[in-house]
Amino acid sequence: MEKFAKAFPSKPLTAKTAKPWALAGVVGSGNLEVLLERGGRPSDTMECHVETSIPGYKASWLAALADFAHHYPAGGTKVTINDQGAPPVLVTLRLRQAYDHLIKGDK
Amino acid sequence: MNTAKSALRRQNKAQRLERVGKLARGKFVSPDKVSQVLKRIIEPGDILCLEGDNQKQADFLANQLATLDKKDLHDIHLVMSCITLPAHIQLFKKGMIRQVDFCYAGPQGTAVADLVKAKKFPVGAIHTYNELYARYYIDLTPRVALIAAAQADRKGNLFLAANTEETPAIVEPTAFSDGIVFAQVNEIVDRLPRIDIPADQVDFVVEAPYPMHLQALFTRDPAAITDVQVLMAMVALRGIYEKYEVQSLNHGVGFNTAAIELLLPTYGERLGLKGKICKYWMVNPLPTMIPAIESGWVESVFAVGGEVGMERYTAAHSDVFFTGRDGSFHSNRAMGQLAGHYAIDMFIGASLQIDINGNSSTVSKNRITGFGGAPNMGCQPTGRRHPTKAWLKAGAEANPGPGSPPGRKLVVQLVETFQAGRVPTFVEELDAQDPSIRKALHGVAPVMIYGDDVTHIVTEEGIANLAACRSIAERQAAIRAVAGYTPVGLKRKKRETEDLRARGIVQLPEDVGVRPSEASRSLLATQDIKGLVRWSKGLYDPPAQFVDW
Amino acid sequence: MTRGPLFHEQTARRRIAALLDPRSFDELLPPPERITSPYLAQLGIPVSFDDGVVIGRAKIGGKKIYIAAQVGQFVGGAVGEIHGAKLTGLFKAAARDKVPCVLIIESGGVRLHEGSAGEIAIAETMRAIFECRAKKVPTIAVIASDIGAYGGIGILSTCCDFRVMTEHGRLGISGPIVIEKWMGKKAYDSANRALVWKTSGGKTKYLLGDADALVHDSAAAIRDAIAKLLGKSSPVSLAAIKARQKELEKRLKRFGETADPDAVWKAMGVRDIAAASLASGPEFAAMAKRGK
Repeated sequence: MEKFAKAFPSKPLTAKTAKPWALAGVVGSGNLEVLLERGGRPSDTMECHVETSIPGYKASWLAALADFAHHYPAGGTKVTINDQGAPPVLVTLRLRQAYDHLIKGDK
Repeated sequence: MNTAKSALRRQNKAQRLERVGKLARGKFVSPDKVSQVLKRIIEPGDILCLEGDNQKQADFLANQLATLDKKDLHDIHLVMSCITLPAHIQLFKKGMIRQVDFCYAGPQGTAVADLVKAKKFPVGAIHTYNELYARYYIDLTPRVALIAAAQADRKGNLFLAANTEETPAIVEPTAFSDGIVFAQVNEIVDRLPRIDIPADQVDFVVEAPYPMHLQALFTRDPAAITDVQVLMAMVALRGIYEKYEVQSLNHGVGFNTAAIELLLPTYGERLGLKGKICKYWMVNPLPTMIPAIESGWVESVFAVGGEVGMERYTAAHSDVFFTGRDGSFHSNRAMGQLAGHYAIDMFIGASLQIDINGNSSTVSKNRITGFGGAPNMGCQPTGRRHPTKAWLKAGAEANPGPGSPPGRKLVVQLVETFQAGRVPTFVEELDAQDPSIRKALHGVAPVMIYGDDVTHIVTEEGIANLAACRSIAERQAAIRAVAGYTPVGLKRKKRETEDLRARGIVQLPEDVGVRPSEASRSLLATQDIKGLVRWSKGLYDPPAQFVDW
Repeated sequence: MTRGPLFHEQTARRRIAALLDPRSFDELLPPPERITSPYLAQLGIPVSFDDGVVIGRAKIGGKKIYIAAQVGQFVGGAVGEIHGAKLTGLFKAAARDKVPCVLIIESGGVRLHEGSAGEIAIAETMRAIFECRAKKVPTIAVIASDIGAYGGIGILSTCCDFRVMTEHGRLGISGPIVIEKWMGKKAYDSANRALVWKTSGGKTKYLLGDADALVHDSAAAIRDAIAKLLGKSSPVSLAAIKARQKELEKRLKRFGETADPDAVWKAMGVRDIAAASLASGPEFAAMAKRGK
């Protein structure tokens, strides 16, 4: 297992969100779950914690998270990920889905 | 006629037939005599063609051949499309083969790589299908051809049924150069539904003790299509099919393209594209085409071969599929490939590896597979002269010079940035460029599709329009832009990527009107094989391995 | 042209959202509380925030229920210490509050990585289910996915008042591969999916009376089936168990030597086996004469 944490600069989250937290994805082979929580940290930072069963891909994780923090105003949130070998495309997809649920609520 | 110094081949053929003598009754050989007949009709040094097509195999004849000894059969120049069976590999292990020229080794890719490493695979070249058939008429004319047919009648006429594949392409050059044609058939009958190969072109027939090996290679279970593949299919439909108005096409078979086929009746319908795209197809009768056909999208389909389970469906839809006077399906690989080369707007398919110049290959050090048909469809047909909307539109983007045709065929690579096991699709240099592989292939790296021929690459990140790139550097930047988080993709430069996007050379899903969160399996016309059976109104008979009811 | 999402393909959380009255779901022990397995890390397996089961309070058709949905993709939906404790606590709360409890099952049984803890938890949950039934609090199991209800969870599902199944669900104890290993491939070919579903799938279970409803593979159909059963429950009495034992003895006598599942269907009034095999759940239910 590989574990790492990093904070990324990100524009502050919009004032109101539908929920205090959102979960996207499922832990399973080739998959991951993303928990996105707001509150209690610097409003210009997206704090990320990743735990993955496939070591050696830190560079692509950090790149995907950095891109997400750059494109979406997610400052003031904490991202916690449990991963079992998801490809980067799923990482981005789940981050977007969790973000969507946080802002707009579940449809 | 003076035959003293000419007609040597004809005389030699007569001698071989004489050696066979009473082992055959006329043209007919009983199964227990086959190996002895093979010993007598094949001579050392012969060019021998063994029908190993993509789907069907003359496996009984191959197995009998593999029982022979090196002293009976040696210095053979083997020419065949597909090295598929353990029996094929046996011929090499026994040291019978002096040289082999082939196209594809999918199922035996690992075994072939092992033979190469052991220096027991003396290869002339890896070819594309039509390239090899063409050489049957030039410098690789078979002296003996061992083929597979569905049925023979008592005169030796042959019926090929749905899987014609390349049998005519093998038989014609052999029969018309005084070669010997030996066919294995599933059964001998009194009357054939139709005659596909006349008895004149056939020398021997055996009713094999088991039906010929025939793989259901092109059936894709919709249940295995992922949301990511649906996303890519939506992006391809909007960014390419819709944009260029692709009316005629070939799909390289895979889950990616199956997703596109299953989105036509739903997403395609919603976009108002019926009638504007996808009317004419060169593709096998894929079960995943059923919903689009039932929904009225498809005018015609010609195929290089059949597909197990689609016999009743194709026979019932003779307005769409090519069928014989007997009412059953007909295919032809040589002509299908030719159609796929000259007569379609677009080829779209996947690959295992793509380099930064857009070259692709499926060959690696441990798996030598070859090309199959992709290169014939996935290349620019500079011999083409007739225009279509898509051809002209793609051509205009490519900015042809004074010495180039005004149009371009759409050649699209549809790939996820990572393969299974997190192996990146995009690489700086192809495994196929490895020195040991090039050496084994006389210096020619087995590239499947060349980057210069590719017009677009579609990944889950978006579309790179390579045809619109004006330099090699620009093309490399465009590829890196859609290569996601692979090591190749991570090397992209932000400014370059943004500039390419501003110019429309790189398009993200949003740029072509697709929201990633919309992409879901529930958009597919059906989510499982059972659904395909229902769509077909009970005419589709899935092979046993796909039936779970 | 497209139907809605298929229940058997939806995730646990999507299923809950689709089954329940809008905005009525209040999750208990939600992910932010991070109550995860204490054992998986040492085996190099990532944890899941809900340990593979989502539980909470909700409403169906305005009626209060407790609901749990297992996450089949996480270690096969198998029950470990935390997962099991959540189920036990949920059924105990249902008994205490006299509120019906619904379990959306997707599990292979005990999580081998946490063997003893899982076994104990399943046993405790079964006891809690009996507590509910003693108080006439309805307990409903939904088995509607390919993973099915196996092992200890298979047993647990039969402890509930009712089982709602679809054609995709399967119910058993030993899985097909184990059966093949013990009985031999000739007797049971685990690779023959048609055989596996004909012996343990929703259609056969409904036919034999082990499932109480056989519905369409959609949240709407399952919701309707659950709603119909919310008012009923019966205690587990000695008389009821004896009666059930007699039924099973009769079934064994009737079909114990039958080697072909189609013969069972035929004997129960299914005339067109091919059509019945292809039919959807509700279509099959209409074709067959359900009995015990």
